Amino acid sequence: MSAPSSFTDFGARLPAWLAPRERELPGSGRTRLIETTLLVLVGILLAVATVNDVVLQTHVNHRLNADLASWRGYTGHDYKNLSVEQDLYGHSTRDIVCGNTTPGPPKERIQICLVATGPVVDGHRAIKGGWYLPVKSEDLRRYRYGCYGSAKTEGFCPR
Amino acid sequence: MSVAVQGVRGSERVRAERWAPALAGLLALVLIAATAEIVLDGAVGHSPLIPKSPAIAGWLAGIGERLGYRSFLIAVLASGAAYGGLLALLRRVGAVSISKRAVLVLLGILHLIVFVGPILLSTDVFSYIAYARMGVEHGLNPYLHGPSSIAHDPVYTYVGHDWRHVATAYGPFYTLLSYPLAPLGVVGAVWGMKVLALAASMGTLALTWRCARARDIDPVWAILVLGANPLYVIYGLGGAHNDLIMLAAMMGAVSLTLLSPSARRDSSAAGLIVAGALVKATVAALLPFMVVSRRRLAPIVGAVGMLFAGALIGYLAFGIHGIDVVSALNRDAAFVSTDSFANEIAHLFGKPGVFPIDHALLKAGLVIIVLHLLWRTWRGYDWIAAAGWTLLAISVTSTWLLAWYILWPLPLAIISRDRRLLVATFAIQILFVAHQCTPLLAPVA
Repeated sequence: MSAPSSFTDFGARLPAWLAPRERELPGSGRTRLIETTLLVLVGILLAVATVNDVVLQTHVNHRLNADLASWRGYTGHDYKNLSVEQDLYGHSTRDIVCGNTTPGPPKERIQICLVATGPVVDGHRAIKGGWYLPVKSEDLRRYRYGCYGSAKTEGFCPR
Repeated sequence: MSVAVQGVRGSERVRAERWAPALAGLLALVLIAATAEIVLDGAVGHSPLIPKSPAIAGWLAGIGERLGYRSFLIAVLASGAAYGGLLALLRRVGAVSISKRAVLVLLGILHLIVFVGPILLSTDVFSYIAYARMGVEHGLNPYLHGPSSIAHDPVYTYVGHDWRHVATAYGPFYTLLSYPLAPLGVVGAVWGMKVLALAASMGTLALTWRCARARDIDPVWAILVLGANPLYVIYGLGGAHNDLIMLAAMMGAVSLTLLSPSARRDSSAAGLIVAGALVKATVAALLPFMVVSRRRLAPIVGAVGMLFAGALIGYLAFGIHGIDVVSALNRDAAFVSTDSFANEIAHLFGKPGVFPIDHALLKAGLVIIVLHLLWRTWRGYDWIAAAGWTLLAISVTSTWLLAWYILWPLPLAIISRDRRLLVATFAIQILFVAHQCTPLLAPVA
């Protein structure tokens, strides 16, 4: 008889379909087939999600490069420190790129923000308007001034 | 099978065994060169991939160039390809053609390269040191305060921004293990952490060897799969992550159950799992499978005994917060990383990210998987494989996924009786690396 510390007695009292086993029965191939099918389906879902994310991020980077090039081309300044606010999930193609109007540390000069929209053509996107920001200000509506182009008609500035 | 066909296959095998060592040597060189490039370029500093760190590898700085995303990803892909090639080669010709000594030398070189280099890809090690210094140097409880409470301490500047206000989520055994390193200063503590990670990795490899032999799996192949894995070497060891200590405890427990099983060994194994969970809680996932598989009271007794001892030590050292693992886990479970599969699936369905309902769905999915695996284990399925599937499921369903999390199931996958687990673990690792590859396709100017 086994020791009281064993679960074996308890297992022996269970019906066959519920009883514990030391090893799997050779005929458990059907369970394995179902598991493998589910695993393959999950694998396909994860692979599609990964590829989709990489494609999404690649488009974002492509558009980001075009936005930066458009800001530099429009202002004539080859500054590195620019901030870009992107619509990452494709609800619109509108991005906002801000940078200093004169050389200096980030946000330590008056900034010009440009609204870039539309498709990337020759590494650039169309600049439809923009506004200015005072020194040391975040791009919040209350700080914006001098709106022009689409930014003026769409009411990006407070007045 | 005809004699002629047997003869052709035999001669093919002889030819393969002749060129196998040369090809294996070439692949090993690629693996070493790619790892060395990451370490040497990383030692230059000023890289988005290398955390701000005290100068521990300054003497290497003159050799490489600044590590950029592009060169890093190319090195990771090259080492991944070389690693895959080595495993395929070993499977084709068998370990006989590639000596045990050669594999040990390769793993030794990879470990040495990463050990002498800078901390790679993560600021976590500085959080470990900050928590240790909070307790030892400043008399603060790391389970109550974040590193921001020691903003004047030299380690603070190296702690990741996201973690500056976060109290430790690690177990009391790990926190106490890190305490002796605190008085060594930041540089001394970083080296101490590196030594701990190296020792834990070597221990895990030795235990994987023993477990593989106990299961009639080629031990040379087993340690190569683990010790040359690029994510294990570059992310795990490179970041000196405490996950390696958890893995050592996990494999210690598994080896106790595999080598001449007895009630006493089962009890010790369960105790070791609990001790590992008091380093990092994830490893506790093994315990229910061990209990269901052994069908003895011994593992329960061992687990309860260690839990009681650990809780007492944690309480004496850190108060009630030192043993409140659940709230720390709940807090961390709410985090979302860009690399998590949950986040990727949310994007696939047009959502900006993971919402609270998604967390609930993921938890429910994980519970269903665990219940199915427990039932399968009860009915004779390999408990080591079931535990490995659970660790893989935890990492896949987690909204906070980091590279070293997908190392958790790897040692179990290597020694499990279900080869599907190893394939699935590799598939997840490949998808993780693929997700990092955007800078190769569209680098930001």
